[in-house]
Amino acid sequence: MKKNQATAVAETKKQRSKLCREIIRHRSVYLLALLPLVYYIIFKYIPIWNAQIAFRDFKAVQGVVGSPWIGLENFREFFNSFYFWSLLRNTVMYSVGKLLISLPLSIILAIAIYECTRPVLRKVVQTLAYLPHFLSWVIMYGILLTLLAPGDGVFNDIIQVFGGHPIDFLSNTKAFPWVVLFSDAWKEMGWSAIIFIAALMGIDVSLFEAAMVEGASSWQRVRYITLPSILPVIVTVLILKLGTILDAGFNQIFMLYSPQVYSVADIIDTWVYRQGLLEFKFGLATAVGLFKGVFGMILVLFANWISKKATDSALF
Amino acid sequence: MKNRKQHLKPQMQNKKVKLTRADHTFNIVVDIFMVIILIAIILPLWSTITLSFRPVDFIGSNLDGMFLSPWKWSTAAYEALLGNNGFLMAFMNSFKILVGGVVCALVLTIPMAYVLSVQSLPGRKIINMIVIIPYVFNVGMIPAYLLVRDIGLINHLPAVFLPGAISTYNCIIMRQFFVGIPGELKESARIDGCSEMQVLFRIVLPLSKAIVMTIGLYYGVAFWNDFFNAMLYLNDSYLNPLPILLRNILIGSGMNENLEVTAFANAPINAIKAASVFMSAIPMVIAYPFIQKYFTKGTLLGSVKG
Repeated sequence: MKKNQATAVAETKKQRSKLCREIIRHRSVYLLALLPLVYYIIFKYIPIWNAQIAFRDFKAVQGVVGSPWIGLENFREFFNSFYFWSLLRNTVMYSVGKLLISLPLSIILAIAIYECTRPVLRKVVQTLAYLPHFLSWVIMYGILLTLLAPGDGVFNDIIQVFGGHPIDFLSNTKAFPWVVLFSDAWKEMGWSAIIFIAALMGIDVSLFEAAMVEGASSWQRVRYITLPSILPVIVTVLILKLGTILDAGFNQIFMLYSPQVYSVADIIDTWVYRQGLLEFKFGLATAVGLFKGVFGMILVLFANWISKKATDSALF
Repeated sequence: MKNRKQHLKPQMQNKKVKLTRADHTFNIVVDIFMVIILIAIILPLWSTITLSFRPVDFIGSNLDGMFLSPWKWSTAAYEALLGNNGFLMAFMNSFKILVGGVVCALVLTIPMAYVLSVQSLPGRKIINMIVIIPYVFNVGMIPAYLLVRDIGLINHLPAVFLPGAISTYNCIIMRQFFVGIPGELKESARIDGCSEMQVLFRIVLPLSKAIVMTIGLYYGVAFWNDFFNAMLYLNDSYLNPLPILLRNILIGSGMNENLEVTAFANAPINAIKAASVFMSAIPMVIAYPFIQKYFTKGTLLGSVKG
């Protein structure tokens, strides 16, 4: 018994000294980690610490720690407000709508690029399709203005040629959501197709050759070989997108919207921005941001877990 | 990438197989779809470009404007912009943010990604947690705003890029690449007496040019395009980067203080708006071929499981 204990103690000591040796051996790695970790503490963890003002009646002069606690008052104000459901609805509507439009589009685009038999056309489309992703939403807003402006936009000229009445797309509550959904599809379609193109390139060509010898038409090849081969990637993309369902695209909505369309345009992030930084209700805005953060975290972790189970690939 | 041709066109290699009618319709449908996509992408860009070259005495609808012949183009809008101090200053500010941001981001992201890729490091899991937690749990813009205000960065250009100087997503992609470098290379260097610092600089980085370029370009695009941080943290109009100036021009607010060209410019105001859109996009368009060269690889890496 005693002997056993002694060996156990010796064992742990041995392990500990081994750990110490390992730490010493890696000392320059810790040195490398120092600066980024300091950065993380300042720029990522102090904001988390600051988030406590969600439970306080924040006054700028009193600071984060000096402001009085008010419990869940800020959250209550938000949940009871008339905005809560409309913000949640708009946010989910935009992110689901974007998914429904751009996911099929990007899959079809990827397959078309893959199947296209004209090398020049393929190369040109492939090159241009990625370009809009790199334009900011400010630039996109400028482009959309030339297309959609009520007095002098190209679309309204076309509508008038066909005898219709001009529509102010950006301040019409019926048209605005569609502008958001389709401008996003236009901007991101090519970029989202990349991952599917990559998956398509991984398909074993001999499968196609075999199918051709067996007499399968191009349609059948797409239906029975191409689509099933990229299905796991589609599922992964879908799951990971569902994890960020509360991010409906702040930059886009912020650039495009105006007070006339707040009722259909306002998402959680734009509302937080206006409440916090324009009306200085820091506590309320932080509470809403925190609500979104917690909810978003649950969704992301859940999505990541499912993705790991279903397709054996995960973000982290 | 090299064998893409064979990948993409299986029916071309096997000439013995005859194309049926269904195959022909399929090819035609694909071609038509591609052409539609092409037009849909080009049309908005083309209408903006032609608008920016529109002369002040142009008569006709915008639809006509899109077919304006190059002999009637006017560069007045560009002359007005390039002769304007506000615009040049904004361009310089954006350039400073771009360079400062990319340098800062790489100096912070490369070591972090490398540290996370050293499998034998005691405490690696803890460091990994430190990196992942803020990524998953995002507390929103107000707490971040308070931080930047409290450390006195308001009205300093670094306020635009410092809050985003490490993107955890980019960091994960880069770590993934570092993990993929054969361990024997690093191990043999260590046995030869290299410190971890030397392993990073002599072995890992020279093998990682593609990923460093990709991530650097991702950061560059993000900083060049950023208008939100600039809007929050820079109140002084002398510090305005290009996206802020562009936004002011587009929504027509404070046009006179930002751009004194309106009164005496001999270009239509819409042409000036379109020209400033195009000028802001130009650096991205120039950088685009380089971006394209690397990003497919980078995005592919992002999809690899961690």
